[in-house]
Amino acid sequence: MGVRPKKNKLEQVPEMSSNGKGHIEPVADEPTRGPPITADLPTAWGFLEAGVDRIMLNFTAGMTNHYYVLCYTTCYNYCTNTKGIGASGLAGRGAGAARGSANVMGSDLYNKLTDYFKRHIARLRKQCETLSDVALIQYYYKEWESYTRGANYVSRLFTYLNRYWVKREKDEGRKGVYPVYILALVQWKDHMFTNLYDKNNKLVNAVLQQIENHRNGEEVDTTLLKGVIESFVTLGMNDDNGQQRATLDLYRDKFQTHFLAATEAYYKKESEAFLAENSISDYLKKVEARLEEEARRVDLYLHNSTTKGLMNKCDKALIVDHMALLQEEFQKMLDADRNEDLARTWTLLARIPDGLNPLRETFEEHVKKSGLAAVQGVAAAASAAGAEAGAKADAVDPAAYIQALLSVHKKNADVVEKAFKGEKGFGEALGRACKQYCNHNAIATTTSKSPELLASYVNQVLSKGNKEASDDANMEESLNEAMTIFKYIDDKDVFQKFYSKNLANRLVRQRSASDEAEASMISKLKEVCGVDYTIRLQKMVQGKLRCCLFQVVNIDDKLDVLDVTLSKETTAEFKERMRQGGDNVNSDIDFSIIVGSTVNWPINPQQTEFSIPKQLSSIYERFKGFYTTNHSGRKLTWVWHLSNNEIKMNFTKPNYILMASSYQTAILLQFNDTHSLSYAELAEATQLADAQLKPVLNLLVKAKLLLVDGDQYDLNMNFKSKKIRININQAIRAEQKQESNDVMKAVDEDRKFVYQATIVRIMKMRKTLAHQALIQETVSMISPQFVPKVSHIKQAIDHLIDKEYLERAEGSRDT
Amino acid sequence: MVTLSTNDGEKFEVEKPVAERSVLIKNMMEDIGGDDQPIPLPNVSSSVLKKVLEWCEHHKNDPLPPATDANDATEETRRRNIDISEWDGKFIQVDQEMLFEIILAANYLDIKPLLDLGCKTVANMIKGKTPEEIRKLFNIQNDFTPEEEAQIKRENEWAEE
Repeated sequence: MGVRPKKNKLEQVPEMSSNGKGHIEPVADEPTRGPPITADLPTAWGFLEAGVDRIMLNFTAGMTNHYYVLCYTTCYNYCTNTKGIGASGLAGRGAGAARGSANVMGSDLYNKLTDYFKRHIARLRKQCETLSDVALIQYYYKEWESYTRGANYVSRLFTYLNRYWVKREKDEGRKGVYPVYILALVQWKDHMFTNLYDKNNKLVNAVLQQIENHRNGEEVDTTLLKGVIESFVTLGMNDDNGQQRATLDLYRDKFQTHFLAATEAYYKKESEAFLAENSISDYLKKVEARLEEEARRVDLYLHNSTTKGLMNKCDKALIVDHMALLQEEFQKMLDADRNEDLARTWTLLARIPDGLNPLRETFEEHVKKSGLAAVQGVAAAASAAGAEAGAKADAVDPAAYIQALLSVHKKNADVVEKAFKGEKGFGEALGRACKQYCNHNAIATTTSKSPELLASYVNQVLSKGNKEASDDANMEESLNEAMTIFKYIDDKDVFQKFYSKNLANRLVRQRSASDEAEASMISKLKEVCGVDYTIRLQKMVQGKLRCCLFQVVNIDDKLDVLDVTLSKETTAEFKERMRQGGDNVNSDIDFSIIVGSTVNWPINPQQTEFSIPKQLSSIYERFKGFYTTNHSGRKLTWVWHLSNNEIKMNFTKPNYILMASSYQTAILLQFNDTHSLSYAELAEATQLADAQLKPVLNLLVKAKLLLVDGDQYDLNMNFKSKKIRININQAIRAEQKQESNDVMKAVDEDRKFVYQATIVRIMKMRKTLAHQALIQETVSMISPQFVPKVSHIKQAIDHLIDKEYLERAEGSRDT
Repeated sequence: MVTLSTNDGEKFEVEKPVAERSVLIKNMMEDIGGDDQPIPLPNVSSSVLKKVLEWCEHHKNDPLPPATDANDATEETRRRNIDISEWDGKFIQVDQEMLFEIILAANYLDIKPLLDLGCKTVANMIKGKTPEEIRKLFNIQNDFTPEEEAQIKRENEWAEE
């Protein structure tokens, strides 16, 4: 019934050797007979005390079966020996008369036993009065071990007392009565431990001294410490409420509090001293080692409930108290890319509640700054290059720009992944910082600049002749990188506009590097922004695959006009026709055309008249006829300025091939008849408006194809170039600028509809909504596409009210 | 094997698991290891021990009852369980004197299940009998005065019927 040490503990101690078998000769003076059944207290206790002495004082002498049973029987007899024998002698179960006397009998014996323990402990205590430090610990441990072992045996001997008298006392709610083993512990606690505790807490202090020595790297007897500290736990054993269970009160109050205070003091001192002489890097390593060491210490000799408190104290003394220093150093670590230190700092501060928050802020700020710095670098390089080339400063290379954004992101994403274990908070901080520097920086002064540049970058990647796109994997990677940035872009709709424009360009000019890559890019966009975002782009790509192809070849005596956007499949056929070439005037111009619906294609014809050169007109008419027959009711709009022609120059050696737009072609074709024409004559012949004609002419002059003399343009008969194929169909800068403005206009126009549509959608669902709530909801629904402005939303609402889609109610709006 | 010796000098040699049905013997074996000497049982006679050992032999493979009765729930189930197995029922069909001897021995040797068996049997004997019948059954002298008896009857009226 008593609480017994665990089995393994029993095995550690030598068994009481028994008669005849044991290696130690039994003490001879063992009684052969017990006291009579009806023995009175002095007789019975006298007999029992000798037995208890044997166990407590002379444990190794052992005990025979015989003696053991005699002791047990004496106890049993004494407890059951009430005035009636027989039925009412079933002590504890009998009622009435038997009860009172059984009570007395039990308590007499119990008191005797209590006294015995007290006396025994007093003897032990005397012996240790002069001891201190290790000697005290050793003595205490040794005596504790034999005391508890003995008490355990005694408790067994007095099983009968435990089973009936103690149990009933407890059942009746009496406090201060314990099973014999617990009684022994309580006595030890009251008369041994408390006594030592009152004397300057000498035992605990000795233990703490040992622990400090251990921390200082000295050898200590951990078994000893473990034994003593375990005794504090065991002493907390109580059995109130009839339940025997270990409570940690004593361990916690009398030992742990002191231990924790000592720990904190120790590490406070150590960390301050260490930091005064060493770098933070070394300190981080030290702390890491210390924390591991302390965790091990718990396993070595502490109760595992201490872990939390101990770690808290260590965290406080080693980390929290130096938090400011660590945070300051964190910035330096970021600056110097000290990834290992970053990881350590992260691990340490992750232990502290909210310890990482300041780091996240620092990190966010750092990413933002380095992002901005990188962009600044690109801007500086661009303006330097621009200054050299004499061009305007805002001619930023999209690739350089995007790479700058990417490199900052990649580096810091690496840091998050490796040093911060990919922790979510840091991921978010990185995201916020990237959003910041991607959208607002030295180059992107407005939010639409980054999407535009990104779109140009993607355009470069997806275009033919891109060095990086030498293989699919590379291209795929570049696209993925672009998507990384894309996610941070606020104005996704701007990107969409530019992207579709660029896509149209690529498709019309057959400059797309690979259909697969196009499809993959679109599907990536779809993943992020949904089907609505990409549906038009997708239709454009699909439409391109269905496009019609016509082929005719025209050979002129001076210039070969090959109106082409050559598709890959037809190249071979085209060459075939070339060989056949001859005088088949007007019958053979290689021709391909892309028909796209104006809904999907973001291309507007330019506002100008255009007279189609006679060399091309036949084919134009033929196609027009063909298309209208096949698709009656549709209107064909020719987008001349996007067309691409190959022109062979027959008057030079070798015969250069020019890649030219239709306008350029039309101008050049005029020189078939004469070598010199005036501006007015050209305008007359081509019917082009000034806005188109002038830049085109300038470009031709710049390319040295034409020589200008006042108003007179001459064909340069001595044209020379290193390359055989020359692309003169370059977008004119003014045109480019114009384009980007157009796009922005289109974007703004679209946004108006988005605002309105969103508001109507919300109101359809809600019927009535307060003004403020409506604005908020609109903002939240639109923000994945771009950053909405509240003033715009208000405008849209007013507009809808004007149109009577909405009406104003008292403080709210009704549909 | 363990040898047990009774107060009338008879010796019983039994297997260890059988003897260890008795918590007294089990604890002793654990604590002092046991020796070849017979274990004296001064409070048990050979006729009773024989009977007790018969029970122990039959139950030697039962799981031991929990060492402590700390767990109220299991204690409760044990108390409530009033079923007696068929074998036990036959085993306990002995005369009254032997029944009490067995109970005493089980108490002394600390064999809880056997003690329970004995007590349950006694309880069953009492069940449904009038005080008079019980007195007769156990040969108990009525030491109440008539007044006392009348008062007890009044107090326990609710239990009648």
